[in-house]
Amino acid sequence: MSAPLIVGSVAYTPNVVTIWEGIRDYFAGTPAEMDFVLFSNYGRQVDSLLEGTIDLAWNTNLAWVRTVAQTNGACRALAMRDTDTMFRTMFVARAGTGLGGLEDLKGRRLALGSRDSAQAAILPVHFLTRAGLAEGEVDLLRIDSDVGKHGDTGRSELDALRAVLDDKADAAAIGINTWEAIGRDELMPGAMEVFWESPIYSHCNFTALPALTEERSVPWVEHLLAMDWDDPRHRPILEMEGLRRWVAPRLEGYESLFEAVQEQGIGPRW
Amino acid sequence: MVNHGIVLDLVERLATVADGATAAVPLGPGDQGLLTQTVAAWCARTGNELLEVRNGAAIIRRGHTPDPLAGLASGQMPGTRLWMYTNFDCNLACDYCCARSSPQTARRALGIDRVRRLAGEAVQAGVSELLLTGGEPFLLPDLDDLVEACTDALPTTLLTNGMLFRGHRLERLRRMDRDRLALQISLDSATPDTHDSHRGTGSWARAVAGIRIAQDEGIRVRVAATLPAGQSHELQPFHTFLDSLGIAPEDQVIRALAHRGNADAGLELTIESLIPEVTVTADGVYWHPVSADDTDQLVTAEIFPLAEAIAEVRRRFSDYRARANAATQWFPCA
Ligand code: SF4
Repeated sequence: MSAPLIVGSVAYTPNVVTIWEGIRDYFAGTPAEMDFVLFSNYGRQVDSLLEGTIDLAWNTNLAWVRTVAQTNGACRALAMRDTDTMFRTMFVARAGTGLGGLEDLKGRRLALGSRDSAQAAILPVHFLTRAGLAEGEVDLLRIDSDVGKHGDTGRSELDALRAVLDDKADAAAIGINTWEAIGRDELMPGAMEVFWESPIYSHCNFTALPALTEERSVPWVEHLLAMDWDDPRHRPILEMEGLRRWVAPRLEGYESLFEAVQEQGIGPRW
Repeated sequence: MVNHGIVLDLVERLATVADGATAAVPLGPGDQGLLTQTVAAWCARTGNELLEVRNGAAIIRRGHTPDPLAGLASGQMPGTRLWMYTNFDCNLACDYCCARSSPQTARRALGIDRVRRLAGEAVQAGVSELLLTGGEPFLLPDLDDLVEACTDALPTTLLTNGMLFRGHRLERLRRMDRDRLALQISLDSATPDTHDSHRGTGSWARAVAGIRIAQDEGIRVRVAATLPAGQSHELQPFHTFLDSLGIAPEDQVIRALAHRGNADAGLELTIESLIPEVTVTADGVYWHPVSADDTDQLVTAEIFPLAEAIAEVRRRFSDYRARANAATQWFPCA
């Protein structure tokens, strides 16, 4: 039997250990056994993938874009969560502010999350540019907490929302996962509303280098995709990791981020 | 004005907590009732559990508590069996009797009406076996009617000391439905000494004779011994003896002596440590047959409806187990 596949993941919550131990156990005894290594940030994880310390990286969209850049497109995405294929950024403001779209942000204050968060900083700026707002036309309040984790902890987005509640900002850009976590607009009745929703884009994926042969990756992906929401042994892991189903990657969903990284001159090391 | 930031606090605080662990989130200023409602709504929506609000803070467990009764073997689920104390008086006065039975003990009979209703409701409530005990049930003049009410409803076990199978009592035994009834006769040892020392001189010989009579009548006999926990390793001679009587291995039951009733020593059994067996006496519903004469284990004086009593036992059991599970989390190995 071949050595287990080593998957890297960034530890953004204590539950990462439970999740990966659960996934590792799910693969135990199959032809595609695996183990995992946890990193404190995505920069370190991508370095380790490039060095061959890990076979697969559970990457955010920004980590994927960086890996593509550093391998000249030789890396490949193996799978993602169903939720990763339809990620969005939500622009929210206090209810009743009367904002009707991104253009209305001209001259106002927009709170953004960590500068390395695709959903709460990089893509929001890209969407503003697409809406014809030049640099400086919107007053950006950047909240850089947990840099290195690409916004996974959601803390900076919560702080951005707090800035709106505290009247330090007129609006905030957050990921749809944070919007769901606060209960959309239902738990804070009359407090927050979405005034613009971005088009869908792709979020995380399992990234591999050419060094990982198909012979090894294919059985692993097949077994991953066989995880079943209706199986009580699999359900807790899927719930904790925030998906119902693992799916094939939707690569066109990364185009907006590639453009954004290029427009904003995002450095290669986050 | 509600403090909307509470929702942000919840998301932020719970994100840093391991699944199954708890966190305290201060409610902050504002209408505490409204804030608590918001917290409860958030928990319900996100699959977390609001445990309580204490000193202005919401105590929340990340994730769902697993059902505390989920790991039980199917036979251990309270309400699988229903025990009924037909009466409390007995022809013997064993020194370890958990029911404090003796010839002087008041009868406190459950009576045919209640037994019949219990048997009927037991079927509805999903009970799969009835057990009749006492006292000594064969002292009752209407025991055959009680047993019939039970065997008509469900498979039934009748506990007895086996010493009274003569005359009209033997006639009553003969009228019972042997396809649906098993007798469980108490016998503590392979030779008279141990048994007689607790239960009275001559009682061993009469119990063994009772076992043989019941077997001759074609009734399935189970034998149950009550032994101090320290003696349960000297069982081989006893099993050999029961084998020689023709008692099937699965019908040879050994119970540890409980520190209950008349017993002056034995296993300490508390509600928290004892898997319940729903038990009905003339006085109410008890946690377990070993404690059917102890008010500390009275669950409710309301016997009917039986389903409600069973539900109450399950609720309490679930609660104790949840607390025990939580206690194991209070001491993470560090
Ligand atoms: S242990 Fe049984 S036989 Fe002995 S006194 Fe109690 S009820 Fe009667």
